[in-house]
Amino acid sequence: MSAFLQRIGQASLILIQEMGRMFLFLVSVLGTFFTLPIRGQNILRQIHFIGIRSLFVIVLTAVFAGMVLALQGYYTLSKFGSEALLGQAVALSMIRELGPVLAGLMVTGRAGSALTAELGIMRIREQIDALEVMGIHPLKFLVSPRLQAGLIVLPLLTVIFDVIGIMGGYLVAVQLLGMSAGTYFGGIETAVVMHDIYTGLIKALSFGLIITWVCTYKGYYTQRGAEGVSQATTSAVVLSSVLVLVCDYFITSIML
Amino acid sequence: MSDMNKMATQTIPLKPAPLPVGQRLLENGLITAKQLEETLVECKRNNQEAYLIGRTLVEKGLITQSELLNCLFQQFTQERAAHQVEPGVAAKIRFKGVEKSFDGRKVLDGLDLEIPAHKITAIIGISGGGKSVTLKHMVGLMEPDKGEVWVDDNRLGTISRQQLNTIRKRFSLLFQGGALFDSLTVSDNVAFPLRETTDLSEAEIQQRVERSLKDVNLAGMEQKYPDELSGGMQKRAALARALVIRPDIILLDEPTAGLDPIIEKAIHYLICDTFMRTRYTMVIISHAVPAVFDWCHHVIVLHQGKVRAAGPSMDIRNSRDPVIRQFINGDLDGPIQFI
Repeated sequence: MSAFLQRIGQASLILIQEMGRMFLFLVSVLGTFFTLPIRGQNILRQIHFIGIRSLFVIVLTAVFAGMVLALQGYYTLSKFGSEALLGQAVALSMIRELGPVLAGLMVTGRAGSALTAELGIMRIREQIDALEVMGIHPLKFLVSPRLQAGLIVLPLLTVIFDVIGIMGGYLVAVQLLGMSAGTYFGGIETAVVMHDIYTGLIKALSFGLIITWVCTYKGYYTQRGAEGVSQATTSAVVLSSVLVLVCDYFITSIML
Repeated sequence: MSDMNKMATQTIPLKPAPLPVGQRLLENGLITAKQLEETLVECKRNNQEAYLIGRTLVEKGLITQSELLNCLFQQFTQERAAHQVEPGVAAKIRFKGVEKSFDGRKVLDGLDLEIPAHKITAIIGISGGGKSVTLKHMVGLMEPDKGEVWVDDNRLGTISRQQLNTIRKRFSLLFQGGALFDSLTVSDNVAFPLRETTDLSEAEIQQRVERSLKDVNLAGMEQKYPDELSGGMQKRAALARALVIRPDIILLDEPTAGLDPIIEKAIHYLICDTFMRTRYTMVIISHAVPAVFDWCHHVIVLHQGKVRAAGPSMDIRNSRDPVIRQFINGDLDGPIQFI
């Protein structure tokens, strides 16, 4: 029994230590945002990597998310004779929830895992140490541009996701189910207010921070060779995804 | 010049030689005063630095590559004999009672050592004996569990990050695995520290990169990526990156591991040549025993986390310590047990 308790205590201490280290990592990286030089080219490269190269998967996911939402929504709303509200239902779901969450999860899977693996390989091949020896701050040079790019890119990808998702819903509602385009879009115009858009964007901003923070942290502190890189990548994706959903709940409950 | 020598000229990397080597070539009767003078004039006309005279002589076919390298080495040996290291004099880096453990295993156990300034110091010892860990302590990549590491008058671990970075800019470290950046070409890898830490113009950077790559016989490989190079070529590219910034202190972690004997020899000469031109403080971890004794001033033998012996390379080479003898001779029987 005491061994069991000891194990729980030990695991708790490791967890607290890890949380503390993650927090200090974030504080250190945020601190480098305000120090010179600002490496604009590095940030642009990361925007390209995290943002532009995630576009295809975002568009694809958004189209089908919007289509399935319209299909399911139509089926449910038709039971109450409220099919006219389909446009509003799709738009509100997309803008407030599905857009930021699904965009966040897609970016985690496509770019987050790559961020962890890239930094992990740099760590085990001593490239991060090489930067330190050259007198270049690795957090400033490697992590800061990725975090800044994440903060810029996620809201943009979310907006794209929202628009494409609503258009996906339009395809099903108007082209497939025969609803009028005026009814579909008219409902959106009346139902969606600025607060909904802010909520979605705040979520996207938070998810951008969480994903790049967790993924760069896991990569930056990778240990034990190739196996360590694979473990770090897996745990980065799992932790980021879970934190995105947890954070989504809390932001929703605060902003509702 | 024989066919063999001509072939050697083509295969062994060409390297710059300092002017005293030109004089030595003259003394050894390998070239005439007129040839030396003409070559010097030619170098000047082509806007080349004087130390490139050795290379020009080889390119003109007046001497062979091996004749140039032998003269260079003679010069180095003579200089070394004239400037032996006095213990404690002008030490650049000092370790005082440094201890470091990993997962309960003590790798450094009260290590006390001094790295003399403006000399080539080799650290030798069995694999896993803490040599690379020692090197990483010198640049603050690792902090000791106990003890002190000093670089000049700065005690690492007690200075700010900014001060540490200033000190680090005086260092250059060749990592065991090269640590080249995968996303950059060879040329960009070598240029990287210059672009990031100096105000040199792009033209100057390109000039230095070109020369550095030529020195390690990687001319023509500028646009290749590290994963397109062999292990030995990656090592040489990393060596070029370490030398290009012209630091105060160069740390080389096994610079010749995994290289063929010809390139290994050429790298040894390159190190001697660089030293004679620049007088950098050099610390080299090497398993190239006994060759290492020929091209270092000072040797430190690490054993069981402590300095077993330290002194002029010839003294260590002739040491009667059974541990050192076993290590130098590569004997399986002796105080160092593996089973």
